Amino acid sequence: MEGDIVEAATILGKLLGAGMAAIGVLGGGIGVGLSALGAVQAMGRNPDVTGTIQTNMILGFAFAEATSIYALVVALLILFVF
Amino acid sequence: MSETTTRSWRWGTNRWMVLLLVILSAVFAGIFPPLRPHVQLPAELLTDPLFTLPLIGDFQLSNTLVALLLADLILIGMALLVSRAVRRGELTLGGLAAAVEGLVEGLYTLTESTAGKWAKTIFPWMATIVLLVLIVNWTELIPGVDSIGLLDQHHIENPEACTFDTLFRLGSTEVVAVGGESECAAGVVPFVRVASTDLNFTIGLAIISVVVTQFIGLRAQGRAYLGKFFNTQTLFKTPMFGAINFLVGLLEAILESVKVLSFSFRLFGNIFAGSILLFVVGSLVPIFAQSAVLLFEFFVGLIQAIVFGMLTLIFMSLATVGHAEAEAH
Repeated sequence: MEGDIVEAATILGKLLGAGMAAIGVLGGGIGVGLSALGAVQAMGRNPDVTGTIQTNMILGFAFAEATSIYALVVALLILFVF
Repeated sequence: MSETTTRSWRWGTNRWMVLLLVILSAVFAGIFPPLRPHVQLPAELLTDPLFTLPLIGDFQLSNTLVALLLADLILIGMALLVSRAVRRGELTLGGLAAAVEGLVEGLYTLTESTAGKWAKTIFPWMATIVLLVLIVNWTELIPGVDSIGLLDQHHIENPEACTFDTLFRLGSTEVVAVGGESECAAGVVPFVRVASTDLNFTIGLAIISVVVTQFIGLRAQGRAYLGKFFNTQTLFKTPMFGAINFLVGLLEAILESVKVLSFSFRLFGNIFAGSILLFVVGSLVPIFAQSAVLLFEFFVGLIQAIVFGMLTLIFMSLATVGHAEAEAH
């Protein structure tokens, strides 16, 4: 009986914790959008260097994505390891 | 206008093959309904302890190690292909060897543009990391990886009730109660699992990258490289700012270990989340939806490999330049 309650509470805590950890993904979305904004504005001003701008945009995208991936990893850790 | 007229593109037989495959997948999804997968973070072990090393412990074969060996075979095959073609004396390579040559040349051009005269030292590290991580990430797209494996039955109380038919009828590999008395739970342990989803691989690669960066910095600048961490240049001239510079130097040392975490978790998070997405979408919508996720995973694997390599390149070339020259620019 007590084991059931403890197990149910653990599962409840896990699911709530994972849901709250996933809120952190918001920052990554904003960061990626800003990186694309800068790239598109630069391409508008100087269409000749589109190749260089695209490469640097992908680089900036990967960095901005990294922090939201950290939040995702925390959510996955809570769900699957604890 | 070119002299030889190029044939304009027409619909071919490919669309009928795609339609046939979609219909076949719908038929098979009806006969064998997809199972909800069992996901776990650490890599699954395939064998019992094979041998024991004195300090490190038991060695068991894990399925990510199998994927890494597969990627090693592919890389060695690529290298042998190009070396055989070069030894035969061909001036211009054709086919697959030309693709490999083009890839390596592109990477070397990138290295030269960033590193300058240290390109020959930095290029082996950066290119190894890019090629290895690229091939390891792309093994996810091969059919059979992460899906073909052993049905590992655990938590069985009534073995006779835990049949294949029961599991497939109820559509789940998690705990299945049959008749209220017996329980049966099973999970598929794949033979090959993508190596980037194992934290051992990503943390090991990140540690290699950061440690080799320090060695290259020491080789390029000698003892002045340690001045980045123990910044005592202005400590005695202007005590206030000197103390702040000293603390900033210590912070740089901590930043190096954060780089290890950042490298490893960026790669791990992207690929692990991608493989979970593949599992879940494949079990929810078994017809054709996984193809879109596979296409996305193709690009994610490519971008993560390039980002890992480029970050390694940038940190190594920063280590060779040093702060004093950077300020003088």
